[in-house]
Amino acid sequence: MARRRFAALLMLPAIIFLVATVAYPLGTLLFNSFFNVKLLTPNRRTWVGFDDFVNTLTSPEVGTAALKTLQYSAFAMTLELVLGFGAALLFYAMRDRSAWARTIFIFPLLVPPIVAGLLWKFLLSLDTGMVNRVIDLLGLTPAGGQINWLGNVDTVIFTVSFADIWLTTSFVALVAYAGLQGLPADVLEAAEVDGAGYWQRVWHVILPLLRPVIAVIVIIRGVDVAKTFDLIFIQTEGGPQGASEVLSMEIYRTMIRYGNVGSASATAAVFLLVMAFFAALAYRVIWKPAND
Amino acid sequence: MTDTRRPRLAKTVSAQLGMLLVVGAFVLPYAHLLLTSFKAPTEVLAIPPTFLPSHFELTNYQTALNDPGIGRSFINSLVVAVGGTALTLFLAIPAAYAAAFYGTRLGRVFLMVALIVRMLPPVALAIPIFQAFRQLRLIDTQLGLMLAQTIISLPLVIWLLAAFFEAIPQALEEAALIDGCNRLTAMIRVTLPVAGGGIAVAAIFAFLSSWNEFLFALMLTSVNAVTVPLAIANFKSQFGLDWGSMTALAVMYSLPVIAVTLALQRRIVSGMTFGAVKG
Repeated sequence: MARRRFAALLMLPAIIFLVATVAYPLGTLLFNSFFNVKLLTPNRRTWVGFDDFVNTLTSPEVGTAALKTLQYSAFAMTLELVLGFGAALLFYAMRDRSAWARTIFIFPLLVPPIVAGLLWKFLLSLDTGMVNRVIDLLGLTPAGGQINWLGNVDTVIFTVSFADIWLTTSFVALVAYAGLQGLPADVLEAAEVDGAGYWQRVWHVILPLLRPVIAVIVIIRGVDVAKTFDLIFIQTEGGPQGASEVLSMEIYRTMIRYGNVGSASATAAVFLLVMAFFAALAYRVIWKPAND
Repeated sequence: MTDTRRPRLAKTVSAQLGMLLVVGAFVLPYAHLLLTSFKAPTEVLAIPPTFLPSHFELTNYQTALNDPGIGRSFINSLVVAVGGTALTLFLAIPAAYAAAFYGTRLGRVFLMVALIVRMLPPVALAIPIFQAFRQLRLIDTQLGLMLAQTIISLPLVIWLLAAFFEAIPQALEEAALIDGCNRLTAMIRVTLPVAGGGIAVAAIFAFLSSWNEFLFALMLTSVNAVTVPLAIANFKSQFGLDWGSMTALAVMYSLPVIAVTLALQRRIVSGMTFGAVKG
């Protein structure tokens, strides 16, 4: 009994802090989403029932932002997984002789997101941008002139994720590499002895064995990429014409620019629930079967 | 023998070249940022752009440092990050220790809750926190931002430390208990010193998380407590696109932290991939 009480006592400060800074705000958030509250007059609130939720779920702007969030997340994560696992397999094939590359590969992980966003805005700019310059030097500039990377309404939601991919592919690669190192050597050798080619081994042996590691990466990255704010804010501020406005930015704008706390809260609450649902789904689908 | 050795050598060479290509693609963008910051302001905007500066000069750094808000934003960032790190460690060390060493149900629930908090979108929390802070007069203060950013670093650091504590054998402490220590002194004198390395890694993580944080800084500060990432974002709107000064500012903000972290590199990597490896 004394044991348990001592443990509880040690956790108490952190619990109090999380209740005050997370549980209480979440309660307020849910509470607010049933009212019409404006930022400038927080004490004047009128009960609107589920109106805020209905408005959120039927608002074309929120719908568009949700779609943009999905497009951004799916595109960035797919590339991060493919590039990250590709790099990890390359490092793994070279074992100790890849030490230098792995050391340098940590680098992008340490760059602050706001700097990464700024840097990619610079790299992707017209005329003065290095990306278009390199494309030009390779003779690949399209006939219509330079590519307007961050100015094209149709593609900006994908191109704005280059900064994210640059920033976090290293994370995927390092986690995947650590996972590869933990694989049972005898199973891999058995597959090789049985005459399986390299890509057969990767697809049928290595990737299934890495299922829990992939689950961790997908959950951690999925949650982070879906709540991206800073990288997009610094590059496009959601533009042009709202074409790169993801949910985090839509909520921010509803709150700060329009001062509509009730609406922003309802959208945030729905966003939260959807994220929790996806995290649980990823956990069940990818992680669980490997433990059976 | 020679038949198998040749393709193997070719494979090694092509794999090394492949790695060089991959690593180069990921490092060159930052090198471009660094080199751009030393160019003359006009050369920064040269069409077509160049990679190497024609000569190195510090004009961009002077312009950035002459901006009256910049010095203050560096002080704010440092104060908030150091204070936030201290608060995070103060809360996380005993909690993670208890969760890892005393496998109680409360401990397991606590770790689960920490994981869920890690998943919350900060923008959802920022709305009610903004309202509460206005009543408490914490808007635009270093203390307010410190508290808010601790929400982000705390779950991360709790999990990191719990993983480190789990790796420490409990037999040490049991021996100390038999020798007459009570639970608290056993923790402080026996286990915490052994966990020093892990705590150092956790401290770096907490510092980086606050140093890099943007959304709370954007929503909860306006003039007095503005941090560097926000100053960089504002710099843009203030002077149009003064790329030269912005690159200089970005380098001053990011390079020292990168250098220190890389110097402590080995431990950081094990920290960054923690948990995932255990599956």
